[in-house]
Parts: sequence; C-alpha cells; structure tokens
Amino acid sequence: MSEDLARVALRTVQKLGASYADVRYVRIESENLHVKKGVPEEIRKGVLAGIGVRAIVKGAWGFAGTTTLKRASIVDTAKKAYKVACASARAKKTDVKLSPTLAKKAKYSTPFKKDPFKVPLQEKLDAIKAAERTAAAESKDLIRTSSSFFRAHRERKLFLSSEGAKINQTIVWCGGGLSATAIKNGDVQVRSYPASFRGNFNTAGYEFFESLDLAGHASETAREAIQLLSAEKCPSTTTTLITAGDQLALQVHESCGHPTELDRALGTEADYAGTSFLTTDKLGTFKYGSPKVNISADATTPGGLGTFGYDDEGVPAKNIPLIKRGVFVNYQSSRETAALLNLPKGSSGGMRADSPLAMPIVRMTNINLLPGDWKVEELIRDTQEGILMLTNKSWSIDDRRLNFQFGTEAAWLIRSGSKEQMIKQATYTGITHQFWGSCDAVSNDDWHMHGTPTCGKGVPGQVMYVGHGVSTARFRNVQVGIA
Amino acid sequence: MSLENLSEVARKATRLAIKKGADQAEATAYTLVEDLTRFANSQIHQNVATHKEGLRVRVVLKKRIGDLAVGALDPPSILSAVRDSIKIAKLSPPNELFKSLPEPKKYTALRGTFDRRTAACDPNFRADNAKRAIQIAHDKANFVKAVAGSYMTGSSSFAVANSLGTDAKAQVSLAQMAVTVISKKKGSEGHGYYSGFARSTREIDVDTIAEKAADKSVKTIQPARLEPGEYEAVLAPDAVALSLYYVSNGFLATWFQDGTSFVKYNLGKQVFDEKFNLKDDGRDMATLYVSPVDGEGVPKQALSLVKKGFVDERSISYDSYTAGKEGKKSTGHASVPFIEAFAAGPDLVNMLLAPGDVSEEEMIKETSRGVYVSRFWYVRTVNQPRMILTGLTRDGTFLIENGEITKPVRNLRFTDSFLDVYKGTQMIGKDQERQTLATVPTLKVSKLRFTGVSEE
Repeated sequence: MSEDLARVALRTVQKLGASYADVRYVRIESENLHVKKGVPEEIRKGVLAGIGVRAIVKGAWGFAGTTTLKRASIVDTAKKAYKVACASARAKKTDVKLSPTLAKKAKYSTPFKKDPFKVPLQEKLDAIKAAERTAAAESKDLIRTSSSFFRAHRERKLFLSSEGAKINQTIVWCGGGLSATAIKNGDVQVRSYPASFRGNFNTAGYEFFESLDLAGHASETAREAIQLLSAEKCPSTTTTLITAGDQLALQVHESCGHPTELDRALGTEADYAGTSFLTTDKLGTFKYGSPKVNISADATTPGGLGTFGYDDEGVPAKNIPLIKRGVFVNYQSSRETAALLNLPKGSSGGMRADSPLAMPIVRMTNINLLPGDWKVEELIRDTQEGILMLTNKSWSIDDRRLNFQFGTEAAWLIRSGSKEQMIKQATYTGITHQFWGSCDAVSNDDWHMHGTPTCGKGVPGQVMYVGHGVSTARFRNVQVGIA
Repeated sequence: MSLENLSEVARKATRLAIKKGADQAEATAYTLVEDLTRFANSQIHQNVATHKEGLRVRVVLKKRIGDLAVGALDPPSILSAVRDSIKIAKLSPPNELFKSLPEPKKYTALRGTFDRRTAACDPNFRADNAKRAIQIAHDKANFVKAVAGSYMTGSSSFAVANSLGTDAKAQVSLAQMAVTVISKKKGSEGHGYYSGFARSTREIDVDTIAEKAADKSVKTIQPARLEPGEYEAVLAPDAVALSLYYVSNGFLATWFQDGTSFVKYNLGKQVFDEKFNLKDDGRDMATLYVSPVDGEGVPKQALSLVKKGFVDERSISYDSYTAGKEGKKSTGHASVPFIEAFAAGPDLVNMLLAPGDVSEEEMIKETSRGVYVSRFWYVRTVNQPRMILTGLTRDGTFLIENGEITKPVRNLRFTDSFLDVYKGTQMIGKDQERQTLATVPTLKVSKLRFTGVSEE
C-alpha cells in the first residue's frame, strides 16, 4: 500500500510537469525508557508515518509532506510540492542542477541479532532499573539523582525517483546509558556512562545495548560523581590536553563535521546554523590539522549511527576522506551542491531528512577520526604534564566553526606520565585549525563508534542521528580552565 | 481537521481507554501546519509545505502509566493508540510518585490568536516577500553580497481531554520572518540579522526587518579585535531572550527537584537587580505562543518568576506530575506533545521581562567603554546552580566608547554567571520586543566577561 501511495504522488507531480521528483514513504517507530530514582519516569512509544514529495519545477525546488496517508491527501500533497516549486521559481537566480547518480533498485537493512522492539519491555526496564539502583546505592546522601535510559528507533523507508530509483531500507538503532548526580553544599557533579546525554547508540540490535553492561559500570560512575565533589577545580592555564573518545566525538562533530558540510560553505545555511571557515578556495590545500589528523565521512562503518545503504537522494553509502594527513581534501555534499562545485565523484551521499515531513539536507553520516599509532597508556605515559578530559558536559562553537569551548564531566591532572589527581569543572577552548594543528598523537586501542542522535540543523529544524569513530588523542598548548 | 474535530478525537480516545479498562486516561490530538520559504545567496533554495497530525494517549492503571504517540488521527489509529497504551501500562511497573491526571478547571478562551489567512498563506505570498527582502537588502549598498533567511506561516492546534472531565483546546496561527545579510568589502565580511515573530502576516514588517539586517551588515565590515575581559554591555532583545531561555531552566520543577536549579539555593534571596521583574503568562498577547491552557488542559497561570530581583518557591513552574510529587497543584506549564519525541516536564514559553523607561540610545550614551551585542549564539550551560553560560556574539557586535558606538568588533566568546550578569542590570529599555519564547527589552549590564575572540 505504501508503494502504491508513493507511486500516486510521483505520477501526480510528474504529470504536472516536474523535471525531477522523488518521493519518500517513511514510517518511524521509537521507544524511550527512563528510570529515575527508582521510578519509571518515561515509558513511551511513538509511531510516525508519512510521505514527502520533492520536485524541481522551472528549475526550482518545492517540497510538501503529510502524515495523512489517504489517496486524496497524497494527490493534494504532490500538487502542493509542484505549487511550492513554482513559487520558488519567482525568486531564483539559477536553475537547480543535480550531479548524476545511478537510479538503483535496491534493498538495505541494518544487520542485527536481536530486534530491540521484540525484546520484552520488562527485560529492558529491569536492565535500566538495575543500573540505576546500583548507582543510587553508592550513597543515599550524596547521589541525589540517578537515571538510566534505553532508546530504540526503527525507520522503514521507500525512496522512488522520477529517474527510476526504487530503494527500500530499514534502519534500526538502539542504545542507552546512565548518569549519577552527586550534590553537596550546592556543588552539583554529574558522571555518565558510556557517554553523557542519555548514553551511546549504534545501528545494531539489542545486543549492542547489552554489550554496554550498564549495571556493571554503575557503581564506578556514581563513585566518580561523589569523588568530584571533593576534587579541586581545573586550573586556568595553557597545557597539554588529552581528550578521551567520549569528549573527542563531539569535538570532531562540531569542528570537523559541520564545517565540511558543503551547503554551509556555499552559504545556504547562513540564516541559522551559519557558514564555514572552510571556504571553497581552501579545498585541497588548507592545512586543517597536523599530519596525524585523518578524518573521513564514512556511511559504511559497521555499527555507526550514521550507517545506511543509501541516502535520501538514492546515492549509495560512501566512505569519503575529509582530512588527509592534516589537509582538507573533501566536503560532505548532495547531488545539487556537488554539481555546483563540479565535484568529479558527485555527491558524497550525505543527504538525509529526519522525517517524511522534512526536505533532505546535507547531514553528517559517520565522521571518523582514523586511529593513530599509539596505545592510550603509552600516550599518557609519554605526557610529562597535562590534563586528561572525559565525557562531554557542554559545547559551544561559533557560526563559522572556528572558536569553540567545551566542558567535560571529569578530568585528571597528569604529571610525569601518570594520572595524578581528579579535577572538576574542566573546560578548554581554541580555534579549530590551531587546535587540530597541535594534535601530536592519536591512539588506536580504544577506537570505537560513538552515536549522537541529536544533531540539529536546518530551518525548519531537523534532528539527525550521526556517528563518530574516535579514540583518545593529545593536543599541545591548549587553553584550559575558562569557567 | 477543525479544532472541534480534534476535541472529538481526544474525547473519543479517552472514552475508549476507560471502556478498555484504564483507571484514568488522557488524550491530546493536534495538527501542525508549517509552510516555510527559505532563501540564501539572494534566491529561494528551499521551500516546504508540511501538514502533521497526531495523537498522544496516556493511560493509568493503578499507577502504571502507558504513553503512546501516533502520527495519525483516523479511527483505526485512535483504536490502536488506545490499545497499545494500555498494553504498555500493563507491562509497566507502578510509578508511586504519580498522583493523578489533572482535575478539570474552567478557563476562558483567548480571542484573536488565530488568523485563517495566515494559517493558509499562499506560497507565492511568501516568495514575493522573500524577493522583496532580498531587494531591500541589496539596495542598501552595492557591497551587499548575499541575503539569506526564511518566511514561515502556519498554525498549531491542539485539544486535550481526560477522564476526569478536562476538555480544553487552543489554536494559534504563526508568521515568522528572519533575514541575514552578508556584505563584503576589501576581503572583509559583515553580517546583520533581524527577525519578526507574530500570529499574523499583517504584523510582519518585511521592509523594516530587511532594512535593519542590512544596516547592521554594512556596519560590521572590517571588525577590530577586542581583547577579552570584563566590559559593560548593552544587550539587544535577541541576546536577552536567548540568555533568558537558558536561565529560565532554573524555574522548572524538574531542575528544582533534581537540585540543579539556582532557585533551590537562593530561596527568598535577591538574585538579580531590583529592577529585574520576570514573569511567564500564556494569556499575555505580547508573547508569541499564547494559549489559555497547557498541554494537559490546565489553565495557564501567570507566574511571577523574578519579583524585584527576588526568587522563591513561587518562582517554580509545574505540570501535574512534578506538582504531585510535592503535593502541589500544576501551574499550567505542561509542554504540548506536538512531536512524537515529546519532552517530559514543564516548560516556559511565554516569558515577559518588564520594560524600563530608557531608550537604547540612552543606554549607549551612558556606557563609557562597553560592547553592544545584537545576538548571542550557541549558548550552553557550563554550571547549572551558578548559571554559568558560555556562547558567542553574532551578526553585529560593536565597541561603545564614551557614549557612542565607535566600531564593529569581531565576534566574542563570553563565559559568565548570568546570575551575576543580571544582578548588574543598570538600565532596562522601554520597548519590549517579541522573540519566540520571551518578550523582552534591551538591557544594559555593568559587566559581561568575554573570554575569547573569534577569527574574522
């Protein structure tokens, strides 16, 4: 039935005169579980299904979407997309051109062992409750809030285009986490596992959530929160910074993922998210980082939250180097932006929409800092004086992605090659290319995928799930201790 | 679907849930229409028309709660939403902190919140206004390089019913325009921004929005580098509203109960300057998302958040669940479940900062050496109880010397406790400006700590 409706939409907009059109039928199921202080605060499921129609008419884009899945409404939506495109043509300077892509007939499904939606609710609740209760048990007086989370997402989508593409995909991801908040005399300290903001997520089945072993990490997480209450504050100085993966993932996201989006560089996000310091004249020559820095946009990484078969323009998943030995070599792009720059390999396959009601925009897939040649222990042992920062707590970066400041939940002073003392309220700041230029070591033994399910971009706002493969890395001469 | 039909859906779902064995049930039916024309590089590049509808069903079986959201309002979807929410509740452990869904309360509907023409605005109207804004900006100077922005029209409507007798509804139309202008001269870029938020397209002054954005843009070419440090600051309404949005988390029951709210540690104390008076009032037509009721159908109360600089327990906003935990009544601040991933807990979307009696020009005149901030950007909370925020300035940052704006400066990063920043409120503007979640005037503060400078 969904294909019939999608075909009705495609035929309608083509008959009206669209020179190109695509239709996405999407059905999203979600499950959110949250236990806090022993109480099931959130047991919530959601289902959203709809159709989005995108069309080029008179050289301009139009898009319309609806959740009313009746034939009459679908026809009306297709007509609306046509009408909106005609309106766009009233204020266009140039015609939209698309870089070529093969019109595929294909299927893709996230590989998994256990369907997270088929695991009994009780089992999932028991798992997060056990973790939360273990964290709370560390101290009735000091652990004032403890929470544990589970989240699962399944997205079934059918993509049809006027070029003949027909792609069926099912993307499944899940994960979770826990956090413990210790409070004493107005000092609030939080520790989270395996990452802050509700945990870590992979395109995978329930086996990924099980592998996190929340309960097994709950005591240590809570103990560290308590330990932070008596820790000294991060000093204000310039020093060597070592960032663990659960912080570096967001550093990569903000300071490499977003500025290498070609739509930003071309100015089409100027009204909200901003532009990019990586302007098109810098492509292929700009020294973004040290030779230790190699970053790719890889939609094929197993388990990555940004892993799929095809993007929302029907372009197959690709692995594109963005930064090669420190040099900026590629953008993340769409068919339209790739054509504007005459990129020889066409789109990077990064067009994604967060729902059937959203027009696809250039989004991150998995932005991965490739592993280096150090072991984490060697890296710390090799550091005479510095600070190791763990787990993101706050993040902020300017509209061209240059001036950033991050805060972390916990940090350690490093002296003479060993972790000497835990410190709190750790922050660091810098300018993107100077910071990555100061990177002199990247580890390889703790590299894994971190999932960020809350990347915001676009007007109207869209929230996308993206991944980051990172490990621990070291940076010299970084300003720390701002707050 | 009409508002009355949404009410019927909500009532039907509630009745059905009780019939199927729920002790208590609540249903919220909604439609969202969002049509948006977006432009960049002085042409339209994205243009969307979306229609979304949905239903949230919350059922209670002996303190076991099932919560389900579906993106449809047809009879089979209503039936499956009710069945599945009951299924979830049966499988859920009891939530002993849950007291009850809210009792029904009378409310008076608001007039003039919905403009049919705005809600069903033609895409050609938005396209022509985008074109007009682009032209006005380019007419400002021959070095205006690109104009970007968006014009949104649409509406949000919801109806909520519960088994205790709550039967409420609300509807607003929306018209919003934002314009960003980029100028370029001698290798330097200037950026300017201005916006308008209203419930009718008739209130969107396209010419003024484009003119103000262009004016800021051409004046910010070749910005100087200003050394970080503490400066007096004049904060334009856009900057005030964004920082207040973060500060307002401290007034949420969720933060208060978790011990992360600054109010918790300052009960009965004067935290801000005595001139600082902040309230949240969903019935005040000066705010954007006006509504007589909240997402649970509870009448919205006008809540004084800061009175003459003081905060106390009455500053806290509640929905029925967080209120029940403390044996209190909801203040009418439950969020509306417009999206399938709705957030739990209360929210503040109708804040008003009381105006003062001075003009922005007078504030600048009274500044010996300070910074004029048009906008803040990417603000984040670094420390919750001390409300330390970090973020950057954007789209028009200027140095004020001896009572005059003397030159544009590069974007600056600030990191400061906004309890301290607002305690240092010296002057409050006489004109309030409506932003999305708050209606606020310009503020002059005695100091804002800038901790970094961005590159041009």
